[in-house]
Amino acid sequence: MSETAVLTRTRADEKTTAPQAPAPRRNRERGGRALALSLLLVFGIAFLTPVIGVVLTSFKSNPEIAQHGLWTPSGDLTTDNYMKAWSDGNAGTYLLNSFLVTIPATAISVVLGTLVGYVVAKLRPRGSGLITLFFVAGLFVPPQVLLIPLFKLFNVNGLYDTLWPMIIVHGGYGISLCTLVMRNFFRSVPDELREAGLIDGASEPRILASVILPVARPALAALATLQFTFIWNDFLYPLVFTRSDEMRTVMVGILSLQGQFSVAYGTQAAMAVLASLPTMAVFIAFQKHFIAGITAGAVKG
Amino acid sequence: MSTRRIGWASVFLAVPLIAYVAAVVGPGLYSFYYSLTDWNAVGGTANFIGLRHYTEMAKDEHFWHALKNTAIWTGVAVVVPTLAGLGLALGLAQVKRMQRLIKSLFFLPLALSLVVVGQVWFWIFRPEDGLLNLILGRVGLESWQHSWLSDPDVAFWSVLVAWCWQQVSLAMVVFLAGLTSVQAELVEASKVDGASSLQRLWHVVLPSLRPSFAVVVSLSMINALKSFDIVYVMTEGGPFRKTETLALLVYRSAFKTYDFGYASAVSVVLFVITLITIGLFFAWTNREDYQNV
Repeated sequence: MSETAVLTRTRADEKTTAPQAPAPRRNRERGGRALALSLLLVFGIAFLTPVIGVVLTSFKSNPEIAQHGLWTPSGDLTTDNYMKAWSDGNAGTYLLNSFLVTIPATAISVVLGTLVGYVVAKLRPRGSGLITLFFVAGLFVPPQVLLIPLFKLFNVNGLYDTLWPMIIVHGGYGISLCTLVMRNFFRSVPDELREAGLIDGASEPRILASVILPVARPALAALATLQFTFIWNDFLYPLVFTRSDEMRTVMVGILSLQGQFSVAYGTQAAMAVLASLPTMAVFIAFQKHFIAGITAGAVKG
Repeated sequence: MSTRRIGWASVFLAVPLIAYVAAVVGPGLYSFYYSLTDWNAVGGTANFIGLRHYTEMAKDEHFWHALKNTAIWTGVAVVVPTLAGLGLALGLAQVKRMQRLIKSLFFLPLALSLVVVGQVWFWIFRPEDGLLNLILGRVGLESWQHSWLSDPDVAFWSVLVAWCWQQVSLAMVVFLAGLTSVQAELVEASKVDGASSLQRLWHVVLPSLRPSFAVVVSLSMINALKSFDIVYVMTEGGPFRKTETLALLVYRSAFKTYDFGYASAVSVVLFVITLITIGLFFAWTNREDYQNV
């Protein structure tokens, strides 16, 4: 980087005989940058209006919303809505259900996808290409295609209206993305690592657990972040596979709240904020991994 | 040695295979089977009726309308967020101060669920006290005010706006990642050669973003084809089924009218359309585009 800078400077000096020539360009560039920055700022605020709006609404009292409307700024802020979402709105149950679904389903899909990714990238039995294609193909299956047979299955085996359907389906459906990401990662790990383990007399599971996985930590973090967000935010499966309020996850819970308190916007907003907090927290804590996950997941080998 | 390796490969694959077949492959095949049956009640039986649901579909105006909506939806959801995301990414790449903070703010919508996004936009589009009509009223454009989500002519576009809003973040993330890998040397060299910023953008930056384009377009395409949540939350397919997409038609046929056979047939069509669209796109772009992003 610095080398190039030196290079360009000397070349620029050769070209221009007038020493003040680069100055206007630099000024123009600085002006352009300032313009870009202010444009971005204006655009950014407009872009984030929906987010800001819902957060502010969640702190406004319902009578005030009824009197002045949803989007009018308010002087008085209150946390009543959060209390109400918690006590009348079942927020605690919904959030707990979401965690009970998301954590195991994330773990299952990441573990299983890691196994497949490791096999096709490092053990490479014959037909690895086909095995990869088979497992990754799920990425191109719209979830609606699986809905009806699964609905029947869960009705027959009595798992309908429990949390199990979401854990099972996300655990299995997530294998596609996890296989893709982990295979791409394992391909960048040198074969010598595994071979060294073999020479030391370690078994394959041991090599995977104590040699390969420690190296794979960043990829695993990226994947877990991504899967957590997807599964937490899912709406379709809990909508179809559960019925009672005690089994709803928070995304479906937001909507049942809409039915119950048709005018309590403040409470709904508080619920929406509560529902978004876990993914926001994960996102802020692991932003780097999250983005790495999205770009890695997009890679087709 | 080698047989042991194959042995372990089978051991490692066993559980993932069972889970994947149970959750994806099996149900997928069953959907195809159910599409050939007359199953139309939760506890009812499924009798084989051949392709009757598919000929029914060809005559169903709601199917054609949903197909048209899905096509428009996918087209807009690919083009608009891609261009907007590219513009934003190019702008953000210029920002030197507070880059992390500003980036995080722009990425935020990505972590939001579509249910929350749909709900917030529902409030923006409310006719009486929604933000959009409020602003239009303030600046004297009362004639532009609409019942954004209940007017059959505009509802579809309103929902699409909300969808694009979130997808912009996705495109931006991928483009920004791509921009950091654009070789600084190339950019510097073009500066020395006296290329204007526009020339540089067109001849140096954009060509090196090709892989990012491929990724953004394929992701937005897959997302758009299966989009359900946001339409369900904002309009439930209404008014008068005007905002119904294929994904919504599957849900409605199955879980509102309990015509599981017909719903399965629609879902099979949706699957085939997805495969063809993605397949054509992959065939059109270079394989290398997906190697190193």
